[in-house]
Amino acid sequence: MTQIRARVAALAPFLVAVALLAGGDLLDAVGKARFQSGGADELLYYPSGLMVRQAALGYETAAADVAWLRGIQYYGEHRLTDQKFDLIGHVMDIVADLDPAFIQPYIFGGFVLAQEMKQPERGLLLLERGRVANPENWDLVFEAGFLHYVCRHDYATASRYFTWASRLPGHPEYAERFAAFASQKAGNRGMAILLWKRVLATGNKYMQEVARRELKRLGEEEQR
Amino acid sequence: MIRVLAVARNTVREVVRERIVLVLAIFGAALVAASQVLSPLAMGEGKKVVTDFGLAGSSLLATLLAVFLGSSLLHKELDRRTIYAVMAKPIRRAEFLVGKFLGLWTTTGFLLAGMTLTVLAVLTVVHGETPWILFGSLLLTVMELGIVTAFVIFFSSFTTPGLTAFFTVSVIVTGNFAEQILYFGGHGDSPVLAGMTNALYWIVPHFATFNARGMVTHGIAVPPERIAFAVTYSLLYMGALLTVAGAIFERKDFR
Amino acid sequence: MREVAPLPLLHVDGLTKVYRDPMTLKPFTAVDGLSFSLDRGEIFGLLGPNGAGKTTTIKLILGLGRPTRGSIRLDGRDPRDPAARRRLGYLPENPCFYDHLTAVEYLELTAALFGIDAQAGRRAGLALLERLGLAAHVRKPLRKFSKGMIQRLGLAQALLNAPTFLVLDEPMSGLDPIGRAEVKQILREERSRGTTILMSSHVLAETEPICDRVGIMSGGKLLEVGTISGLLATGVREWEISVESLPERPAAELRAAGHRVEPLGTRWLIRIAEGPALQRALKVLTQSEVFVNSVEPRRETLEEHFVRALSRGKAARS
Repeated sequence: MTQIRARVAALAPFLVAVALLAGGDLLDAVGKARFQSGGADELLYYPSGLMVRQAALGYETAAADVAWLRGIQYYGEHRLTDQKFDLIGHVMDIVADLDPAFIQPYIFGGFVLAQEMKQPERGLLLLERGRVANPENWDLVFEAGFLHYVCRHDYATASRYFTWASRLPGHPEYAERFAAFASQKAGNRGMAILLWKRVLATGNKYMQEVARRELKRLGEEEQR
Repeated sequence: MIRVLAVARNTVREVVRERIVLVLAIFGAALVAASQVLSPLAMGEGKKVVTDFGLAGSSLLATLLAVFLGSSLLHKELDRRTIYAVMAKPIRRAEFLVGKFLGLWTTTGFLLAGMTLTVLAVLTVVHGETPWILFGSLLLTVMELGIVTAFVIFFSSFTTPGLTAFFTVSVIVTGNFAEQILYFGGHGDSPVLAGMTNALYWIVPHFATFNARGMVTHGIAVPPERIAFAVTYSLLYMGALLTVAGAIFERKDFR
Repeated sequence: MREVAPLPLLHVDGLTKVYRDPMTLKPFTAVDGLSFSLDRGEIFGLLGPNGAGKTTTIKLILGLGRPTRGSIRLDGRDPRDPAARRRLGYLPENPCFYDHLTAVEYLELTAALFGIDAQAGRRAGLALLERLGLAAHVRKPLRKFSKGMIQRLGLAQALLNAPTFLVLDEPMSGLDPIGRAEVKQILREERSRGTTILMSSHVLAETEPICDRVGIMSGGKLLEVGTISGLLATGVREWEISVESLPERPAAELRAAGHRVEPLGTRWLIRIAEGPALQRALKVLTQSEVFVNSVEPRRETLEEHFVRALSRGKAARS
């Protein structure tokens, strides 16, 4: 009898451990189910199956920042030399893989592709990717409208995007104004100037540079 | 309990009085400062860079400290025979082990908290914002660190410091890939493989559960419920590991 | 009414410990069938050369290892039960303590491990450091302690809980003669308090004066156990006759009979190997009108007995 008791006593810690582990796993599974049915924002940050994200071993957003900085550096180097930014789309795609909620890369990437490399379709595709991942973000929609206006000169589509942006939460009041202008006065120089002046207000000095250049081209001096 | 805390307090003293901790603390502060230097290059995303690098860096440093300092903690006691005088006292083997665990976790936890406060300070002073929601991420990372520390103690109860470090790092990597493993196992052709990956998934810790760094960087607070789930999961997991470690250590012969 | 003998403090029965080499899996028997008991209030010396199994035996008694066979009862309990160690004090061989702590911090840790409250522990610790001559080094980190100082600290942490059972593994090692005398004094004081002491040593000269009983170990076996006087009672080795002055004629006669005749300062010492020959030698001396100072039986010293026991043990093994 004591031998059986001794055996049970020896096994007991392992059984306890298994019980605790099972309890933990059950809890984690319940938690996952709960949080995946939560809001879209939370969904983004809960574990997903994306390859690149997992490879960052839990440091995806930092890795995204590294890729972002690298992309900026790449742009900076080439803008002084050959003005060719073939890899910018690829870099910004990687940033988006790592941190889909990182908005600036979609905007900057889309901008460079459409405006500097004259490939508006690729730029708009990148912005669309961002929009799908962040459906409530007005900026991405507005940027798409902006690119349709200044790069593709598709004023009707631009107007539709501006209107869309004006319906999203947190949009600035000028979104509605631009929506109205775009539909009324297609091809208006004044409208283009206002759009470029808006770019001057961003924190991105490369985009500001391009904006100044375009404003000069349109005959309008930069206003502080 | 008093004995466990006595061992814990002694372990904290031991770890803190190791020069490496000071070096790491300074390194941590330097990291946060350096990330601020990158700020102007980030085209308006300086705040994000500081937050991301600060959170990632502190988590990485604390984990490295736990693994590399912790893996020799028990071995040192056995090697130098300091454990003899302690175990001849009326203390259980398991109490000693839990005390060591608590001491190590406390120290690395404080390092983590210190670095997070440094990030907050930089953000406040330089960028004029104080995102208190970072503490939500800090709490989850502390619990994740607890699991890592428990693994270190678990492995060191029966193997060498080198292998302890190696196994623990392997667990960290596997734990971060947990969802991935489950996904690919389930989508393969072999039901045997699916079964195996399923089993593996349930055994390894699900570290992604504790990763809220991306969330807080984008200004979203960690929901208290998620924190509650994660904390409970980690406590259960740590409990499992320490129970087995205690049982293994109980049988050990001190030569 | 029947008087029941009190339970021995320590009872070891058929204690055996076999280690396996982790590489070759060859078994090695460190302790082989040890049986002995310790009564309360006695000082017991566990003697033997290095490798005899003394330290292993002590470790098993303290619950630091599991016996392969046999049993140990410490105050009626298995030593692996922490309750058995509540009133136990232990000084390891070549002790090593946490060198990141100061002396007083180490004793505070010790007190906490015994469940003594912090204030009382600190007081007791400081008092012991004073008693052991370490009062000036209370705040010094242990890595700066000399070997002798560590040994004293070791004694301090062993005495902190006012133990009823002290286990000391080579307590004199690292101490100068004054230190050793002080330790002996402390051990005597503890015994007078009724503390039972088990000490292991291979410095026999130190053990002889203080131990009540000794056990001689070699090759993992306990060869002999008993009081020193009991062990040595068997056999008067020789007789020593001390004389004032010795003329040449009786000296030569004694030498011829096979006895040893040695000068000892101004006197002479004659060693007689056998009892019956003593009478004949005395007759020679009285006939020569030699003045006899004393006639003493010389018993074997513990050291001589020890060496004999070891060689017997070795012979038994081979």
